[in-house]
Amino acid sequence: MIQMFHVYKAYANAPPCLSDVTLQIEKGEFVFVTGPSGAGKTTLLKLIFCAERPTDGQVLVEGRNLSRIKSSAIPFLRRNIGVVFQDFKLLTHRTVAENVAFTLHVLGVSKVECEERVRKMLKRVGLAHKADCLPQRLSGGEQQRVVIARALVNEPTILLADEPTGNLDPELTVEIMDLLCGVNVRGTTVVVATHDASLLARYRKRTIRLDGGFVAFDRNELKERVWMAAG
Amino acid sequence: MRALAKTAYFWKSAVQGVQRTPLIHLLAVITIAIVLLAAGLVRSSVQLLDSLTETIGGDVELTVYLKEGATESDAADVARTLESRTRGSAVVVSPQAALARLRAELRGVGDVLTDLPSNPLPYSVQLRVAPGFRTTDALRSLAAEAKAMPEIQDADYGEEAVARLAAIARAVRYAGLVGFTVIGLATVFIVAATLQLAIYARRDEIEIQKLVGATDRFVKAPFLVEGALQGLVGAALALAALWAFSASVGPRLQLLFAFVLRPGTELSPNPSVAWELLLAGCALGLSGSFVAVGRLLRT
Repeated sequence: MIQMFHVYKAYANAPPCLSDVTLQIEKGEFVFVTGPSGAGKTTLLKLIFCAERPTDGQVLVEGRNLSRIKSSAIPFLRRNIGVVFQDFKLLTHRTVAENVAFTLHVLGVSKVECEERVRKMLKRVGLAHKADCLPQRLSGGEQQRVVIARALVNEPTILLADEPTGNLDPELTVEIMDLLCGVNVRGTTVVVATHDASLLARYRKRTIRLDGGFVAFDRNELKERVWMAAG
Repeated sequence: MRALAKTAYFWKSAVQGVQRTPLIHLLAVITIAIVLLAAGLVRSSVQLLDSLTETIGGDVELTVYLKEGATESDAADVARTLESRTRGSAVVVSPQAALARLRAELRGVGDVLTDLPSNPLPYSVQLRVAPGFRTTDALRSLAAEAKAMPEIQDADYGEEAVARLAAIARAVRYAGLVGFTVIGLATVFIVAATLQLAIYARRDEIEIQKLVGATDRFVKAPFLVEGALQGLVGAALALAALWAFSASVGPRLQLLFAFVLRPGTELSPNPSVAWELLLAGCALGLSGSFVAVGRLLRT
């Protein structure tokens, strides 16, 4: 689903953000990308949804080589990738339902179908009763759930979340992470960038640790345990 | 279905955009309205001048002088030929009538003509040309054609007067065109600058649109609709101002130029001018928003 081969990313007059990153994420996987601030987590996610291009190396998403993708093809790639940010990026003058419907307008979905899909998606994230509220009137956790609803309403195959719980208290963090796990159970590939060690300990998913732009380790504790038990 | 849903979204988004930054849009609308009002006034002036040219041009006659010894029937033949060639009206002037007219024109000194042993003037034909021939080029070629006829010695028309009138009309038209182009370009940049403020106010929205897979065309479309709406509203305002102007000043102008204006000459903007202004407004608004949103997407 997502493949990176010897990927480098550097900005002018600065040391590389990513160096020789090679990894593979399978369809339906849940992966944490972790590491200290400045390790290259956000850059790695940006390479996947084509907000940045690699300086060197190859990035493949669903078989498409993003190093060679035309600018005009990027929007169509992004329609298969949902993105969730730490700072929500919600439109404050639009209601919750309008924020979620925003993704569907881009696809040209009819008004009736749009309303139906938004209603279902808000129900799924537990915000059906807040459809007509403005985002400022919601809690941080609720706002992040709106963002997740917006990212998922067009049923993308990949969900990228950059520090989705960075602004939330522990209770709301669990709420959002459970929601992301539920999304993964339904078959969506989920990649979460976080520096929160407690999350890694609690959820025990595949973890890719970046340090200074390099992959420090790529470990799937749960799988290892299964193999050990089997073998 | 998708195209319909997208179109509906573009219109809704454009209207919301106007509602969110009304002052910025008002500024652009007023700029367009002022430019189109000026263009409309120039257009009306050209129309007035055209009317004057046609009225004065209506008096332009081609006079052909027959060779010495030509008879009245020769003159009548020439008159018929010229009439059928130009769909105008020709009058045969006999040498006696021509002499009498000359005597009258010379007034005090006209009496000297009575001492002439014989009338030196030939038969002539005065042709009042149809509107299609009231241009310098048409009159020149008609005169050359007439001169080539065997019975004709010379042909004369008020070449200088016609050329001068046509030159004035052409100069006003070109000046208007150049003026409109220069001011139009300036307006495009003013509208672009104002729209850029409106676009800047919606940069978050654009960022999210791009994030969820909107193409550049999708991002641009609502702004182009906004630009076109601004242009149309600006043109409507300019038209209203032009109508008000013609209603208040028009009757006085018509009185002032009553002796030269063709009957039925309208000084208020006619439907073709209205369409021209609406199209020009639309083009100005669209161009402004195209420049503004193009700049945004490049950055």
